[in-house]
Amino acid sequence: MTDASGSTTRRVAPIAGLLVLVASFVVAADLFGTRQALFGSATPAPQPSAFSRVDSSPANSPRSVLRSQPWWQQVGRYSGVGSSEPDLFRIADGAIQWRVTWGCERGRFVVRTPGEPPLIDEPCAERRVSELTKHPAGGMMIETTGRWTARVEQQVDVPLIEPPLAAMRASGASTIATGRFYRIDQVGRGRVTIYRLANGRHALRLTDFYVTANIDLEIRLSPLRKPRTTRQYLSAPARFVAPLDVTTGSMNFRVPAGVDPRRYRSVVIWCPLITSAYAAATLDHRQPAG
Amino acid sequence: MIAGRPWNRRPVAAATAEPITAPPPPRPAEPGASPAPGPRLVLGNRTIPVVLPNRRDPRLKLSAVIVTLQVLGQTVLDFKVSIAQILITIATCALVDMAVTFKRQGVLAWPASALLTGNSIAFILRTNGTKHGDWWSLNGIEWFILAALVSLLVKYLVRPDGRHRFNPSNVGIVWALLVIGPVHVFPQYLWWGPLEAPVIAALVVIALGAVWILTAVRMLSMALAFLVPFTALIAIFAAAGKSFVAIWSDASISGFDYWLKICTSPEVFVFVFFMMSDPATAAKTPRGRIIYGVITALVAAGLVVMQPTEYGVKVAILASLTLVCAVVPLIDAAARRLGDRRDPAIAPPPPAPRWRTSPITLGAVRPATIAVVLIALTAVIGTAALADNRDLVFIERGLTGPRNAQ
Repeated sequence: MTDASGSTTRRVAPIAGLLVLVASFVVAADLFGTRQALFGSATPAPQPSAFSRVDSSPANSPRSVLRSQPWWQQVGRYSGVGSSEPDLFRIADGAIQWRVTWGCERGRFVVRTPGEPPLIDEPCAERRVSELTKHPAGGMMIETTGRWTARVEQQVDVPLIEPPLAAMRASGASTIATGRFYRIDQVGRGRVTIYRLANGRHALRLTDFYVTANIDLEIRLSPLRKPRTTRQYLSAPARFVAPLDVTTGSMNFRVPAGVDPRRYRSVVIWCPLITSAYAAATLDHRQPAG
Repeated sequence: MIAGRPWNRRPVAAATAEPITAPPPPRPAEPGASPAPGPRLVLGNRTIPVVLPNRRDPRLKLSAVIVTLQVLGQTVLDFKVSIAQILITIATCALVDMAVTFKRQGVLAWPASALLTGNSIAFILRTNGTKHGDWWSLNGIEWFILAALVSLLVKYLVRPDGRHRFNPSNVGIVWALLVIGPVHVFPQYLWWGPLEAPVIAALVVIALGAVWILTAVRMLSMALAFLVPFTALIAIFAAAGKSFVAIWSDASISGFDYWLKICTSPEVFVFVFFMMSDPATAAKTPRGRIIYGVITALVAAGLVVMQPTEYGVKVAILASLTLVCAVVPLIDAAARRLGDRRDPAIAPPPPAPRWRTSPITLGAVRPATIAVVLIALTAVIGTAALADNRDLVFIERGLTGPRNAQ
């Protein structure tokens, strides 16, 4: 009995071992996507990028596996008297959550997909914010009896790819500085361009930009040419430019009045929350054309 | 790293050279036989011979070099591996090795080779998310244990000529990097930091260790036979515009930097001096070792040229050894045909591969030989497949956010 089982083991073990090696080959060569199926992927499924802070992306916009810190995109601002049309707004498939900032005069304020149970059903108030994570089944409508207003926003984490501001391309506007991001405490990639607009103000554009995601990031101007550490960055006074709510894509920001970018030598992505300089770009200043 | 020849093989030393392996252990005590000299462990009425480490064993030298590098890695080189990960990987290898040796030989032997295997795995393999300085982190410890088990399983089960064909730590690391993949594991970076005191210290340790060990195992010429063609080919690739992306670099690495980062990498030196030079799995004849070095360089360069990522470059270099180890008997046979003589410091030649003397039929090929072919194919085809791995490019560019903690 023991000899027989030992003999079986001797016959079966090599075959089992070879099968394990064949399986290793299949996974290592990633045949049929087996490695991804077994061990997952570093990148999420591609999703359409956003082209505006107001949801107006065409259905066939380019898809990206890159992700941003979740940011709020406006779906629309609405107002009316009585119930709305049945397909007033839609929430994007990839939205993480959505919210409605609403107010109404009398009765109840109800938001629902026609024929479905209400997702919001509350007595009227002058101003309320309702946040929801449940994804609606389709087009949404508002039901109430009096006058109402609503602002709908959805939180997404896709890249935002804004075109340059019209003022950046207008006659009289010029590029005054450019730079390329490098990492300090976190990954930072992409380019920065600073424009002097025709009205004398300045605007800043990030192109093909990516920084490690976090909340409450800020764009700052530093007098240092190439800060390499957070300590170095903190050694010279920097100037706040704008909050950075979207961390991936191409975006435009207006430089606050009274801030002259020509007096600064680098752009730094700063995280006040953890006191960390994430990334920076050394500015290559140019003389304005003309 | 040098895995060393199995402890129970006949130690043969050149007249003036140190033995390249430990002396043979005492044989297990047989009932009625007079006890063999040497330490023994008595458990009840059973006496178990014990084999202790030999201070002249070159594996101890190599262990000293690797441990020194590990200490530098933990203190000043920012290695993203924890002390707990290192110790558990070494312990896994040691326990498996001692258990196998005890089962087969009835002795408790100091697992010198297995300790090196474990140390080597922990020296090169990294798990995503491990931070430098988090010394007791067990993050991804399962991948270290798995790589250690694969190393020793291949060592003890894939023995086409009655001896192991692959460098154990090499095959375990390559398996982990190709099968588990970049979502969970990655190899130690090619670039250890700017050329300042810590990296200079590491390079000095590697250089002194190389002279110390390669002289003892007569592998200096093999190392040169690898380095000369490899560095020349990488220079040609650099001139031709090849590049790779790496998590530690903002820009793609190309031009002279491509050559510099690959050919002066401490990782590559460790690979050549301390992994390729394993006498148990390298070619056995002096000329064979030259051929072995050159072929490994050609295969490594051939696999490197297609890689757009540092991960791919590193796996390519490691996988070249996996492939070449599979054909070492052929290299030795070719060297003998060229009139080479066997290094007298090395154990007797294994029997010629069966397929050399008889026509191949699938049914006649032994499972161990099929296993060797499968492992070699996995190393090469898996490495080639990395060139098209989109995930890997995003990881190396640092664009996968919290999903990538390399």
